[in-house]
Formats: sequence, C-alpha cells, structure tokens
Amino acid sequence: MKRYRYLLKKVSWSAFTILFVLILNFFLFRVLPGDPVKAGTHDPRFKKENQEAMRVRFGLDKPVINCFETLNPIKVGDCWINPFETQFFIYIRNLVQGELGISYHTNGPVADILVERLWNTLLLIGAGQILSIIVGILFGLFAAWKARTVIDYSALITGLVTWSLPTFWLGIILLFWGSGHGFPIGGRITPGTSSYPLSYQIADIAKHMVLPTLTYTIVYMGEYLLVMRSSLMDVLSEDYILTAKAKGLSTFQILKDHALKNAMLPIVTIIAINLGFTVAGAIQIEAVFSWPGLGGAVYEALERRDYPVLQGVFLLIAVSVVIANLIADLMYSYLDPRVQTE
Amino acid sequence: MKKYTLFVIAIVLALVLSACGGGAQSTAEPEQPGEPAATQSPEEPGLPVVLRVGWAGSPDTLNPGTGVLTEAYTIFALVYDTIYEYRLDGTYTLDVAESAELSEDGLTWTFKIRDGIKFHDGQPMTARDVAFSVNLYKNNTDFIYLNAYTTNFDTVEATDDNTVVITLLNPVPNMDYLLSYLYIVPEHIWKDYAEAPASTEFENLEMIGTGPFKMIEYRQNEFVHLGANKEHFANPPKIDEVIFQTFESPDVLVQSLTSGQVDMITEMPATAVATLQGDANIKVVTGAPFAPSVSDVIFNQADPENCPTDVGGLCTGHPALRDRNVRLALAHATDKQKLIDIVLLGFGTPGLTLIPDGLGPWYNDTLVDYEYDVEKARQILDDAGYKDTDSDGIRETPDGSRPLNFKMHWPSDSIDAPRLAELLSEMWGEVGVSLELQAIDPDALTAECCPAFDFDIILWGWGSDPDPNLLLSVYSTGEIPNGYNETGYSNPAYDELHAQQGVELDPEKRREIVWEMQKIVHDDVVYIIPYYEQATQAYRVDRFTGWITGMAKVELSDVSSLVVIEPVK
Repeated sequence: MKRYRYLLKKVSWSAFTILFVLILNFFLFRVLPGDPVKAGTHDPRFKKENQEAMRVRFGLDKPVINCFETLNPIKVGDCWINPFETQFFIYIRNLVQGELGISYHTNGPVADILVERLWNTLLLIGAGQILSIIVGILFGLFAAWKARTVIDYSALITGLVTWSLPTFWLGIILLFWGSGHGFPIGGRITPGTSSYPLSYQIADIAKHMVLPTLTYTIVYMGEYLLVMRSSLMDVLSEDYILTAKAKGLSTFQILKDHALKNAMLPIVTIIAINLGFTVAGAIQIEAVFSWPGLGGAVYEALERRDYPVLQGVFLLIAVSVVIANLIADLMYSYLDPRVQTE
Repeated sequence: MKKYTLFVIAIVLALVLSACGGGAQSTAEPEQPGEPAATQSPEEPGLPVVLRVGWAGSPDTLNPGTGVLTEAYTIFALVYDTIYEYRLDGTYTLDVAESAELSEDGLTWTFKIRDGIKFHDGQPMTARDVAFSVNLYKNNTDFIYLNAYTTNFDTVEATDDNTVVITLLNPVPNMDYLLSYLYIVPEHIWKDYAEAPASTEFENLEMIGTGPFKMIEYRQNEFVHLGANKEHFANPPKIDEVIFQTFESPDVLVQSLTSGQVDMITEMPATAVATLQGDANIKVVTGAPFAPSVSDVIFNQADPENCPTDVGGLCTGHPALRDRNVRLALAHATDKQKLIDIVLLGFGTPGLTLIPDGLGPWYNDTLVDYEYDVEKARQILDDAGYKDTDSDGIRETPDGSRPLNFKMHWPSDSIDAPRLAELLSEMWGEVGVSLELQAIDPDALTAECCPAFDFDIILWGWGSDPDPNLLLSVYSTGEIPNGYNETGYSNPAYDELHAQQGVELDPEKRREIVWEMQKIVHDDVVYIIPYYEQATQAYRVDRFTGWITGMAKVELSDVSSLVVIEPVK
C-alpha cells in the first residue's frame, strides 16, 4: 500500500512537470529577441509582402495569447479576442492531436526530424553511455577494492584527468589520429551506399561510430569511476563490513553480497540523470564528428528561431529527463526500501 | 612515501598523455601518396566515377521556393536549368532557350525554347513547363527569395511548345540576370503544388529537373548524392556521380581533404591555407567568389527628428555618428591593409563601396579611397570641434555633453568580426575614439539594427547577386521600413538615381549611373567597407583533373567544372 502511494505521488509529480514544461516551452522561445520570419533571411530580395505571406503561413500573424500581440518586444493587444484564435491555443490543440507542427527551416514535419535525429543520438550516445558505465564502474570497483595502493591512485588520477578533458579537444585529437588509420572522420554513413546490402551498411555505421563513441567513453567514464570508488569506499568502512570480515567471508563475497548494493545508490542517481540528458546529445561530439543528432538540431533551430522544432526537441528532452528520474526513484525504492517511508 | 608514489604516477601519466597527444598530431600530417583512404578509387573499372565534395553546410530544403542557404542554390543550379545561365566569367548565356527577342517598346520578351530536352523522369520539357515555372515564382508571394525576381513581370505565357512570351510592367535592363535564378521545374509534378500552402510545404525530395545532374539521395545535414544526366543537351558530365558531404567543423573539413576522404572542399579557414599549399597533392585556389561578399561597418545615422517610429524605429544612435566629419575621420583612421593581413591573413582586397570588386564592370574602380592617415583624422576631429576637454584620452562632442564612446556590435556567429572589432578599437583609439565591443546573437542584432536603429555601430556584411541593383537599394530611403537600409541614410538625389538605373536599358549608361551612385555614398561616408573577402577552395590533384580555374570568379562546385572534370589517369 505504501509502495503504491509512493508510486502514485512520483508519477503525478512527473506528469505535472511535463505539463509545466509544455506551457513554458511555448513562452520560452517567444520571449527571445528575434523574429522567425527574419532570422537568417536578411536579404533585400525578401520583401515586406513575402514576409507577411510567410507570417500568415506560420500562423505568426495571430496574437500570441489574449492581451498580448507579441512577447518580444512586448506589444499589448486586445483582451477580448476569441481565445481560440491565439497562437497558444493552436499550439495546445495541435499537441493534443499529437501534431508537433512543420519546421520553419526545412518545411518538413517536426516529428520526422525528431525521430530521425533521436535515433542517431540514441545510437551514438547510448553506446557511449553503456560503455562508459561498464568501464567506469569496473575500474571504480577495482580501485576501491585495492584502496590506497598504486592501482587505486592511478585509477583515481586517470578518472580525474579524463573527466576534466575538454570533449571537443579529445575528439579532434582522436579524429586526427583516426583519419590516418582508415577511420571515417565525419557523418553517420558513407554517402552513396544506401543501395548496398544491409550487412555492409551496419558495418559501415559501426565504423563511423568508433571514434565518437571512444571519445564519449573516455570523457564520461571518469565520473562513474570516481563516484563508484568513493561510494564503495564509504560502504567498506562501515561496521557491518568489519563484522562480515570477522565472520571470515572472502573479499569477493563481501563486495558482492554486502557492499555493492548499498554502494550502487549514488551511481543509479547519476546514471538516471545522465541517461535523461543522453537524449539531448553531446553537442560537442556531434559537432566534431558531424554526427546528425539532436544536439545539432537544437543549434540550427535556435539560429533560425524555428519554434516548432525547438518546442519539439525541448519537450522530448524534458520528457526523457523526467522519465529517467522517475525510473531512478522507482529503482531507489527497490534498492533501498527506506525511501518509501520517508 | 605514499605522497611520493602519487607524484611519480602523476608525472608518468602526464608523460604518457602528452606522448599520445603528440603522436596523434603527427598523424595529422599529409598522407603518403598512393594510399588514399577513400572507400572507392575513381580509376577502378566497373565502379561509378564519384566525385566527393566536402562542405561545411547543407541545403535547408530542395524546394527552390523556400531555399535560403547558399548550399541549396548550389544544388538547384546543378539539378535545374534556367532560361539564362550566369557563368564564372561574369557573363550570361542562353540555357534552355536558343534565342531571345525584345520588342521595340522593351516590354515583350519572346524566347524560343530548344527541342528535345527531357526531364530526369523521361518526360519531355516544353515551353509550357518554362512558363509554368516562371508563373510559379511569380504567383507565390511567400517564396522567400525567388519571388523578388518576378516583380516586373506582367504575364508569362507559352504560345506553343517552343515559345515563351513574357510581358513586363516596366522595361528592365537585367532580364538575363532575373531569369538566371528562375529554375525550370516540371509542370506534371508541380501542378499539384502550384499554390500556397502546398507550394511551400512541398519537400520536393525527388527533385526532377532537366539539369546536368539528377537527385539520387538527400539527407539533410549529412549529404547530397547526385547522379550524372548523361543525356543533357549542352553539358553532359564526364563523371558519374557527385556527393556533397557535410563536415560541421572547418578543421575537420580540411582534414577530410588531406586524408583523401573527399576530393574537393568548397571552403576553409584562412589559417589552413598555408598548410594545404604545402601539400603536393592539393591545389588551393583563391579569387573573387561566385557571389562576392562585402563586410561593412554600419554607422547609425538615423535622425531622431525623422525616425520611422511607425515600423518600430527608436533612433537611439550616438549623435556624433550623424556628423560626416566623424565618419570621415574614422575612415582616415582605418588601416584596411592591416585588417586584411590580420583578419583574413591576406585573402581579401581593400573595400571601397558596397559594390564589391567581384561584380566586375559595376565596381567603380575610379574612386580614390580615404588614405590611412592618423594625423589627418585627428585634424578633422579637431577642426570639427571634437576635443578632449576632460583629458581622459577620449574626445567629447563640441557641446561637451557626450564623449566619443561608441557601442560596437557584431553577430555572434561571425568568425572574423571579433578580430576586426579589436583592431578597429585599437586604430580608432589612436584618434581619441573609444569603443565598447560586444557580440550579439544574430536575430537580436537584426532586431536592434533596422528599422529600430537602436545601436551605434554594427559590423556586418552582405552577400551579393551578380547585378548591383539589390546592393544599391540598401542605401535607399525606400528600404528603411523594410529593414534593409541599415544606416538610416536618406538622400533624394541618390534615390532618384537608384530609380533611373532600374529602368535604363543602355548598359553603358546604366553603368555610369551605378558609378555615380557609388561616388555619392563614398563622399558621404555612409559606411566604411573594410574589405572584400576572397573565396578559398582546394582540390586533390591526384584524383580529378580539368577543374575550371583562372576565370573572373572562383567556384569549383559550379556546373562548369563539374561537367568537365575527369579522373586522373
């Protein structure tokens, strides 16, 4: 029963957060200075009547919301207009119908852009995350086990150094190295191979993923390593571990049955948070390796004030962060039953 | 003891890391010849001959009506034909038309369209497709750029399968130029998308045209894959395919060429030029770009007394910038050659007016620029009453109310502007003018620029069309409400000449008017034009041969090069 109430509370908070993001998303980009019609099109060929026609096409000729014509600059308008004729209502109505709109920039449906970019990002960052989690946790475990030995200190320093490496710098270094060793240095696939057999294409994508994934793994494993090490060392200094030792259990048994589960709590938190942000992509890695992921999409959309794409991407990121956190909360209640009662 | 161990480990790690770093950098040196890293070699028999081009951008769309980025127009020019074609030597030739005839009154153009041209899907192209296309651009007012070329067109009709008649509202001196952007699309496909909103929502992914190349595959921000149209009536390509691949980082773009993953790159940072020139397998070409660009220092001259408040004008500029003497002094205090040497590493020519030297005959090369002379600049300011009354090193306005301290803004996506701004701040500091430097998001900059006129000085620039009309319009009063007149400059004599050059049919007379207009704005020091940037492109000499260079303009991805290049034997 307690568990059920805990669950309900967490889920409803998550739903509320997403609702809040939905509304904030709409206003956030509209208070930015700049005009989507004029962004990137400062050119005398683009005349006033063309601009007006475009404004009508995007629905930007309508007031943002009752009483406000525009938000930046703030232009107060009629409060007595039909609320169904405002940009805000149309935005909400489209969302309810599952419509994310049409990109101002590419004129393609936002949903298509998001799905394609999301898949690319998940592929790259997902692989990088999984690798860095595995490598980081293993090294951290080993370091804590061999605490205050040369192994521990080298692991510690490696963790600190890799964690503080600038991502783009490491990426460029690996890229220069890789280009001399036959690795493709940009993109997701070799262009012009769409008609090749599937096995070739999969191998091709894997080859393109090597350098960016390696960069990602090196940069992000440090965090897991350090957290795992310190958390496990905390646990190992507890009295009950001493008791376990006194009972004559082997180090392996102590780690496996007594220490690890408790030491995993902080790791689960970071993994959950990082997984949420995974969707946002690693914009620097994407930029260095010309990887067509979500990070790049956000950057382009911001440049062009492409509201529908921005709203779509931010919604996606918000939803995934919230869901990842929800999963972490639920995992907590399993790993540490105390949290339900608090 | 333990601390000591830690120290040793740290040193060893640092060494290992630096060794790794050094090793990685050394492999960045040019590849050994004979070991191309590309997946296919053009010499291999049986495989298609593929040219790989690296560029930093990607087309935003394949629909000519909604294209904004230059990359989109590069692709349009390869896949579509037009009535007239603009060439690298700066002239126009007839493309799908075999003859053009103008009526006595200058209002009716009759074009004879060639026989036997086929679209990429096998359907014949006739004069009806041509007329349909021009009408498409004419009728769709929310087509971003191409609608502007049809402003003076009254009717466009195909009288039979080989004849197109265009009647005009006013005679135009530059019909060839106007028609060189109106890409011919197939009526049998576009008839369902002829009107808004379908015309702008159409993604045109199959992109059927008649040009020398046809669309195979387009993936936004990844690549554009084109195949040769070997049946093209004038320019059948010798190669089989072209791939344009996007590399987002400029350094990586350069690396893709040195490592042989691409055969040609369309742009590069100036810092990479020297390295590439030292590579025996790579040839760097520089010169006036196909669409020359100008950089400009924009002075806010909008008068608060006469502010365009109805379109959001605020007119908050520093009053001293409305005084020609101040602008003239700043022009004399600007060492343009030093700007070129430092900002562009020498790859530019000194600027003069908004019409760049790359526009050939339209550029008024008889004008003499204000020479770099710090003493003269100081003298001009002294004489005009701008003296440093409080001895803080910065001059004050003659009434003593405001120091000559100007805000200088530039778009944050500009690579060159920060250096340009630092240098100008140093140079102008010499004559007692101080600057507050700040990069601004480009959209926010547009918002403060014009027609708000809520700034002092902006560093920006313009791309250009081959025809001077649009660039000249930037100084005209009529463009103030549209937001393209960035300075608020308004001169009835200039406006009068601008109208005249738009209807003067005699090219020589039109050139004289255009030159006179440049003289007026140069005398009034409306802008300072620091430089005209050159194009820098490069190709691998061990892959393809026959590139068209040495013309008035440099553009390796122009159709003229792509249809004649051949693999190196």
